[in-house]
This record gives sequence, C-alpha cells and structure tokens, in this order.
Amino acid sequence: MKIKIKSSKNFTLFIIMMMIFILLSIVMPSKFLTGINLQSMASQFPEFGLLALAMMMAMITGGIDLSIISISNFTGVIAALILSGSMDSSTPAGVAILFAVVAVVAVSMVCGLLNGLLIAMIGVPPILATLGTQGLFLGLAIVITKGHSVSGFPEVFMGLGSGTVIGIPVPFMIFALIAFLVSVLLKRTRQGFNMFMVGANPVVSKFSGVNNTKVLINTYMLTAVLAGLASLIMISRVNSMRPGYGTAYLLQAILVAVLGGTDPDGGFGSVKGLVMGIVILQITQSGLNIMSFSPFFKKFIWGFALLAIMVINFLLHKYNEKKRIQSMTDMKKAAKAG
Amino acid sequence: MNLKKLTKKNETYLLLIVIVFSIVINTINPVFMTVENIFDLLRSSSGTAILAIGVFVVLLSGGIDVSCTAIAICGQYIAINVLIASGVDNIVMAFLISISVGLALGAVNAVFISIFNLPTLITTLGTSSLFHGLLLEFVGTKAVNVGNIPDSIKAFGKMNILTIARPDGTEYGLSIFFLILVIVVVVTWLILKFTMIGRGIYAIGGNREAAQRTGYNIRKIQFFTYCYAGLLAGVMGVMHLALIRYSNPNYIVGTELNIIAAVVLGGTRISGGTGTLTGTLIGVALITILQKNLVLIGLSSYWQEFFIGMIIVLGVTITYAQNKINARRKLSIDSV
Amino acid sequence: MSEVFLEAKGVSKTFVGVKALDNVDLTIGKGEIHCLIGENGSGKSTLIKIIGGVYKADSGSVLIEGRELHEHGIQAIESIRAGVQIIYQDLSLFPNLTVAENISINQMLETNQQGVNWKTVRSSAKKALEEIGEEIDLDERVENLSVAKKQIIAISRALTQNAKLIIMDEATSAITKEEVDHLFSIILKLKERGISILFVSHKLSEVFEISENITIIRDGKKVGVYPTSELDYEKLVFIMTGRKLEYAPYIYNEEMKEDVPLLSVEGLNKEFQFSDINFTLQKGEILGITGLIGSGRTEIAQAIFGLNKPNSGTIKLKGKTVHISSPEDAISHGIALLPEDRHHQGLFEAQAIGDNIVITVLKKLLAGLNLISPLKKQTEGDNWIKKLSIKTPSGATPVNSLSGGNQQRVVLAKWLATEPEVFILDGPTIGIDIGSKHTIHEIIRDLAEKGMGIIMISDEIQEILDNCNRVLLMSKGRIIKEIEDSRTTTEEELYDIVTRNYEVEAGA
Repeated sequence: MKIKIKSSKNFTLFIIMMMIFILLSIVMPSKFLTGINLQSMASQFPEFGLLALAMMMAMITGGIDLSIISISNFTGVIAALILSGSMDSSTPAGVAILFAVVAVVAVSMVCGLLNGLLIAMIGVPPILATLGTQGLFLGLAIVITKGHSVSGFPEVFMGLGSGTVIGIPVPFMIFALIAFLVSVLLKRTRQGFNMFMVGANPVVSKFSGVNNTKVLINTYMLTAVLAGLASLIMISRVNSMRPGYGTAYLLQAILVAVLGGTDPDGGFGSVKGLVMGIVILQITQSGLNIMSFSPFFKKFIWGFALLAIMVINFLLHKYNEKKRIQSMTDMKKAAKAG
Repeated sequence: MNLKKLTKKNETYLLLIVIVFSIVINTINPVFMTVENIFDLLRSSSGTAILAIGVFVVLLSGGIDVSCTAIAICGQYIAINVLIASGVDNIVMAFLISISVGLALGAVNAVFISIFNLPTLITTLGTSSLFHGLLLEFVGTKAVNVGNIPDSIKAFGKMNILTIARPDGTEYGLSIFFLILVIVVVVTWLILKFTMIGRGIYAIGGNREAAQRTGYNIRKIQFFTYCYAGLLAGVMGVMHLALIRYSNPNYIVGTELNIIAAVVLGGTRISGGTGTLTGTLIGVALITILQKNLVLIGLSSYWQEFFIGMIIVLGVTITYAQNKINARRKLSIDSV
Repeated sequence: MSEVFLEAKGVSKTFVGVKALDNVDLTIGKGEIHCLIGENGSGKSTLIKIIGGVYKADSGSVLIEGRELHEHGIQAIESIRAGVQIIYQDLSLFPNLTVAENISINQMLETNQQGVNWKTVRSSAKKALEEIGEEIDLDERVENLSVAKKQIIAISRALTQNAKLIIMDEATSAITKEEVDHLFSIILKLKERGISILFVSHKLSEVFEISENITIIRDGKKVGVYPTSELDYEKLVFIMTGRKLEYAPYIYNEEMKEDVPLLSVEGLNKEFQFSDINFTLQKGEILGITGLIGSGRTEIAQAIFGLNKPNSGTIKLKGKTVHISSPEDAISHGIALLPEDRHHQGLFEAQAIGDNIVITVLKKLLAGLNLISPLKKQTEGDNWIKKLSIKTPSGATPVNSLSGGNQQRVVLAKWLATEPEVFILDGPTIGIDIGSKHTIHEIIRDLAEKGMGIIMISDEIQEILDNCNRVLLMSKGRIIKEIEDSRTTTEEELYDIVTRNYEVEAGA
C-alpha cells in the first residue's frame, strides 16, 4: 500500500514538474525555451543538486546534515588555495588540479568522519552534532583565509564549472553521473539498503545484525564527499572562493529533499524524486528570473513552497490513511460475505 | 541547596567553565574583569539572551525555532520604517509595533506546527525564509542610517539604570537593557513555574502522549510557546536597533544557530522537557565571551566562528558521552 | 455481592467493520477486586476505554452507582468525575517532572486553575502517598525511579481525584515478583478503603492470587463471570480460549544427539544480570527457559546473540569456543534471535515485507560488482512468504498492514532465511491470538525435527511444557533447576518451584 502511495507521490511530482515546464514554455517561449536558457539552467543547479543529494542521504538514515555548506566552504578554500598557489609557482595545471581534487576528497572525508563519530559513536543527535561542526568547518575556512576571498585559478580548471561538451554543460554531466551512482548505492548496495533500515528503526536494524555505527559513519562521510565535490564545481564556476559562500543552499537542499519525497523522519526517499524536485526548483527559479523577480521574492517563494509541500504531504497522508482503513474494512466485509 | 545536589547540576560545571575562562582571559588582559567591560558585555548581550530565552521555551516544549532571528529583524525593520514614515518618535511605539509583528509571525509558526503537526525544524526553516523574503521584497532592503534613527530610540540605547563616574569625570553605566533582560527572565520564570500553561510546556516536552491523555490542550500550549518566542524576538529587535543605532534588514538573520547553541550548551535537552533558565543564561554568557573577547587575548575576530563551533562540539560530546556512560551503568538492556 | 459500583450493560462497539465488543456486561461491586481477563485482542482494552469515556459505545450503557454515564456524548472528564481512574500500561507519567507534580497534575488540570500553588502540589502528593502507606522523595524526578515506583505514583495520582474505581491495565507486565506482591498489598489497602479495582490481565496466576471475581471475555463477547474460588487453572484456560488445546508433547529424537553438543554455554556471568550459567543444547532439541520477569532469561539470550557483553564465561559451538561481540558475529556463526518485542526490536513496521525478510541475508543476494540483484531479492522474499504462508498481496506491502500472527511469521522468515543452527526464540507468541499461536508452535517443532537447535523463552509455563523436551528454570539470574524430560512434570509443579525458590531467597 505504502509503495503505491509513494509512487503516486512521485507521479504527482512529475505532473507538477511538467505543468510548470509547459506553463513557462507557453507563457514565454522566446525566453524560457531557448537553448541558452536550458544550458544555463543545466549549469546552475549541479552544485546545489549535489548538496541536495547529500541532504537526502542524511535524511534517509533519520538524520540531517547542517554542516554540508560549511564543508563545501572549507574544502573549497583548500582547493582554491592549492589552485591559485599553483599559478605563482611553475606547477603544471594538471598536477595542481589533481592535487586539489585529492585534497578536497581527503579533507571532506575527515570532516564526514568527525560528524559520523559524533553521531554514531557518541550518540549526539545529528542536528546538534552538525550544528557544531558547521561552525567548526566554516571557522576553519575563515581562519585559513583570514576571511578574504581566494581567486585566480588555471584556465583548464574553469572548464569544470562552465565548460560544455557537445553543448552539454560539464557540471550537468558530473551531476548526472553522481546522481546515478547515488541511486545505485541506495538501491543496489548493502550500505544503501541498510541506510533505509537504520533510518526506519535503528533498534530493529541492530537486532537484525546491521552494524549501525558503520552505516552511519559511511553515510556522513559520503554526504561530506558530495559537499566537497560541489565545492569544486562552485569555485570553478565563480572563479573564486570566499568563506560564507552559498549559505542559502542549506534551505534549498532541505526543501528539495522534502519536495522530492524524502521523509525527514527517515526510511524513505529516492534519487528519482529528488531529481524531479531539483528540476522543479530550477525551472521555477529560471522562470522567476526571466520575469525579473527579485532574489528576495525567490527567498519568500522557497519558504512558501517548503511549507506548502509539507502541508500537502500531511493532508495526503491523512487522506491515504483514511482510504487504507476504508479498504481494509471493505476487505473484511467482503471476506465475511464470502 | 546542598553541595551534593549542586555537583549533580549541569549548570554548576558550565559556570565553572565560564569562570575559568574569564580568569584566563583576565590574566592575559586585565581589561576583561573591569566593571566597565562587564557592564558593556551585559548591554550588548541582553538582546541575545532574550532571544535565547524564547528559543529555550520552544526547546522545552520539544520543538526548535530557527526563525526567531528572522522574526526579530522583521519586527525591528518594520518598526523603524513605520516610525520614520509616521513621524512618531516614541520608543514605546517602537516596542509595540515590533512586539505585534513578533506575535503575528510567531502565530504563523504556531499554525503550521500545532495544526498541521509539521516537524518544527523544517517548518521554522521555511517560515524563516518566508518572513525574511517578505520583508526584503515588500518592506525594503535599504539600511536606515544613524542620522535617520528617531531620537527616542537613540536616547533609549544610552539610558542607564546605574551610572559610575570615571576618574577623568566621564561616566559609564549599566544599561536599561539589563533591566529588560531581568524582567524577561522573571516573567518567563513565573510563567514556567507558576502557571498551568508553563507546566504544560514541560509536560508536552516530557511526554506528549501522556500530556494529551491527562487533558492538556496541546495546541493551546504550542500556540502560546511559539507566540511567546515571537514576542521575545520582537523585544530583541528594538533592543538591537537601540544598541547599534542602525537598521539593516540583513542583520541578526544568520545568528540563529549560535543562539540555539547557547541554549543547548546551557543544558537544555533538544528532545524537550528538560532545561533551566540559569543554564540558558550561562550558555549565552559563554558564547558572548567567546564572541566579544577573543580580541582581548590577541586573537583576531575571524577565530570566532571556529571557537564557537569547537565549544558546541565539545559541549555536546561531553553531555552525550556522559549519557552513554550513565546508561551503561544502569545496565538496562533496552538501551542497546 | 455487596453494593454495586459500576454496571456495564450490553455494551457493543464496532471499529471499521470489525466487531470489537458484542453485548458485553460487566458488574463491579464497591470495594471489590474484579478481574477482566481475555486473550490479546479479545476486547479488554476497548471495554475499559468505553468505561473511561475515551470511546463511545455503539449501544449499551455504563452505570455508575446507578446513574448512567455518557448519556450525552462521551467525555473522559465525566468518567473521572464519577470516580473512574484508568492506569494504562505505559503509566502516562512525565519523566522530566518531579514525583510531587506527577501525582498532583490531574487534580490541577481538573480544577481548571490557571496558576500553580506548589504548597498544594506537595501536600496533596504527600497525602496521596500516605494513603497507601508509601514514602517516595517528592522532589525526585520520575525518570530516575523504577517501574514499580512509577506504578505507585500512577496509583497515587488516581487517588488525588477521589478515585472510587481504579482500572489497572496489564499492571504486572514489567515488574518483578517481589514488586507484584507489594503492588497487591497496596491493592488490598485500597480495597479496605472501599475502592474498587478492575485488574485487567492475561496472566492467569496473578489473577488467581488477587481477584474475587473474574469476568472472562473472548472475541469481543462475554463468556462468563465466576467467583475466583470456583475456578481452577485448567477450567479458566478452557473458558478463556474456548477449546482445550491438545498438545502432543515434543519428543526429542535421541538419535540426533551427538557427543559434542551443538551449543554449550559455560560459566556465563554478567554483573547484576545473571551468574554461573551453564547449559548445553543438542541438535533437534527444543530447550525451554522460563522464570519470572527479571530472572535473567532475555539477558542471557541477548548475551549469546552478541547484544549484551558478558563479564566472563565461554560459548562453544560444536565444541569450538566462539567470540561473539555483535549480532553480525552471531549470525555468521549460525545463531538467530527472535526478540521479545516484535514492534520495537523485530520489525521495520512501515517498510516492505520483502525488505524486512532479506535484511539478514543481503550477502546472499549479491551479484556482479557486489551489487544486490533485484531478482534474487524478490525471489528470496517471495519464497519465504510462500513457505510460511504469510497472507499478503505482495512482498512490497508494508508489514504494519499484517495481523499479529502474520507479522510474527515475517520475523520467523527473516531469521530462517539465515539458515541458523541455533535459533533462540524470546517470547515467540506474545500478543498473538490462540489460533496463530498454534501454527507458530508447529513451525517451531517442525524446524527442530529437521535438526535445528531451538531455545524457547517464555513466561507462560504451559507453552514451555507443551513444546519443549527439556526445561531450565531460572530465578534471580541463576538456573535453579533443569527438567530433563518435560513429560515428567506439570505446570503447577514448575510454578511452585519458581515462586517457592523466590520466597525462600526472600525469606533468607
């Protein structure tokens, strides 16, 4: 029954997405449905799309990760320093980029490990643990840069954030690849399966032989690595890194995760739903841009959308529950009659 | 209270940390422990403490409120704009407007949380964005400079309840802000301790289902809680304005996590039902000392964020590690 | 019978097409200790909720001292004002508040006051505790108290509201024998003061000890009301279940016995939980472990399964010492544990049946690149659904749509999928109706006959005797007796040993 409800949730999302798309295409075909606009949309969302994937994974295990933006800031600063440093020395760009990527992955893994240890080993509620590390990681980024921004990267590196291959933006391809990998992780690996189960009920999963500690530590390391990768796209696209960049993404990541059907209490969520959530957010944003609404109005819209979605989910849940009881009654009646 | 009970209390340890911390700062820079510096700290942190008390009450009820800062800035910015537009130069008016805005926005939170039963963190994240977005879109984005701030507000910011003369003849004093804080603390304490609605906040935070069964009106209690937090945010908005004599609609917002951190460090449980006002105030003191006094020991201000994060991580680690050890001592196998 | 306090007449209640109560009568006299007894799901809790004004009866009436209750719609407050107090199994206390406040809270709400007078709070709490001769620190937080103490607080709270009838729902399910005795002494004190008690339970032994009259309900119908003195255990079971269950005792096939036992536990110790535990288990045996609550049964099971690290002792499988420090280790050594609490330890209730089953055997489902094969996953789930005849339209249905019996089969399936050699079942039929109970017993016997070593833990001595070939009796963390052949003893005898041993120790 729940499966049906859930798939119908994804179906509703699909309808909403198509409706917004068609609406915008009809209202302003000359502006919305252009190659340039589609291309720019496809290069805008990947950095926050990766953050939303990370948020979804934390939520599936029944947690939340408030530190992803700070991790992005921290790793972004490190990558930026390595890359801009290479400009002064005679290090070849390729080596510097490799160095930067390795550093980002390594540092983000350590950040995630810290979150994971706090949550899984010590038992700190995820919201508190990541609230603390959020300040810690952002603080590190500020301390390293003394609050200044870092800029000036090798030419080749800029391709990561703003290049295209046969017309398709590189960041989009990176996002597509990672979304696919996360989907495989969630649906086809033991880690993924266990993430849902730990989120559904950690006591039962423990009694079922799942190593909760390991599953949670892995989860927070994965979310951190995704945040790290997002930072690479971020600094490449903006061509600089300033600590504090992208704080608005936190709300958007949570919004998209909830919009995409992830249960904040854990146990449910899918990449499919999340991607639709991202698309809805991005095309709405693009539509609002074209209609030249201010960024403040967008802020209002995101808050409103998040609340509206939750209220709708609440009402849908109530309705389905009613239907479920009704159908159970009918079944029992039929059984009695038969 | 006997010594044994005192050692059991979280606040005792926290206070010790604050004292040790102060002594360390003071040995490096003796300016810290002067009456003047302490008065100054009280003046600048009273508003934060009031906001924290609002968050504390919400946490007690088993919820969380990250929209309090957005509410505070909405109250402040709407109040200043109304005062300027209407030409009314009156501090009471400023408070009335800001508090009304705070109550109204708190009620919006309450509707989503008590009627639709939505998770409080995500709801207040949403309303925070909603309120702030509305403010910037429909009220304005321009900062109000000191020249345009009504005199009554500036005067209020300078008002002292106690003045001390320096040797050179100039004066410094204890701001009226401290008095407001004292009033808020006393009122909140009275509500929590001596009214049924206050006990209800503890009850729904401790065991919601039992509260319902016992006959508490949960919706009413939640409504009160979020409106009260909104009201306090409104009060803080005006105090902040009088403190810095400048109003920027992008200020205050973004500090909510520090405020929650202060409350949590003060020993309030995030799961609800447990926590004290004293703890909250000590938590605010700790965060304030970190924020304002790093410079005194020769550290640049950009260490602030790092230190606060560090303190939160250490604080929660110690608390929960303790819980884990205690649970093991109880030998209950339910807690595996 | 003396003066009547409460009379329920012809009460019926239907929930979404299911008749929960059908024309049920219940009469309780003033100062009477009455027992309401029935299987899980027989309608006991529906009846008390109707008396308490939580549910509205479809038909019938509830009279208190001759006056009809809930004539004009239901209201919990009306029942309370008439003197009815229900103490639910979870006690509905506030862990974060003090003893004094917990006791006085109902009274405060009742008077509809806005303020709190702490002097009154303390004095009325003190008075309520004194009435039943108890002394508990009024300023202690309830979370720091034992379950038994919490129960006393719940009773005291009921007294602050001039209770004339206290309904106790499964009051003894989480307390030790010693504490049960203490509770009963309080109940007798209440009786002396003219307060009636309705004791709702499914534990027969306690019912005999305390009650004067017993009302038995089955499948929502009243089967009868009897003075306790006229009933004996067998008769009560017969009336309660509606049939005399004929169990052929489980006979162990001695041919399966090997020189080296399948499992042997040697000198297992854990401070405050159990000590000096020694026993063996052979292939094909069903070994029963029984004892009162707090005797250490569950703790031992969890120790063998890697959830409760013992202080000392060894566990050997087929003669080899094994180190088990987590359920993962236990599973890899062929040990499975069906936990006591199905809802909180056994099942992911909102998740699909199939996922609930395969969680223990994910390794078996891996295909290329170490990825889970969806086909294998589906087949594994469906196979078990078929094998254990779980009634469901598909494996994708969430578990919480199943009945209790079918849910327990899902837990069985999840563990059988691991192909265990040693299967520990802790309370395998808790909360399951009598028909499903029988089927689950048959599944267990069948497994043993095919060579699995089974440990069955239960506090229903009858269940143990019917299904196990060998029995260990536990008390206070020790094995006090081993019955080599369960056919040589009776339930009364075992019950006697367990309780007598307890009394001897308590006396000494």
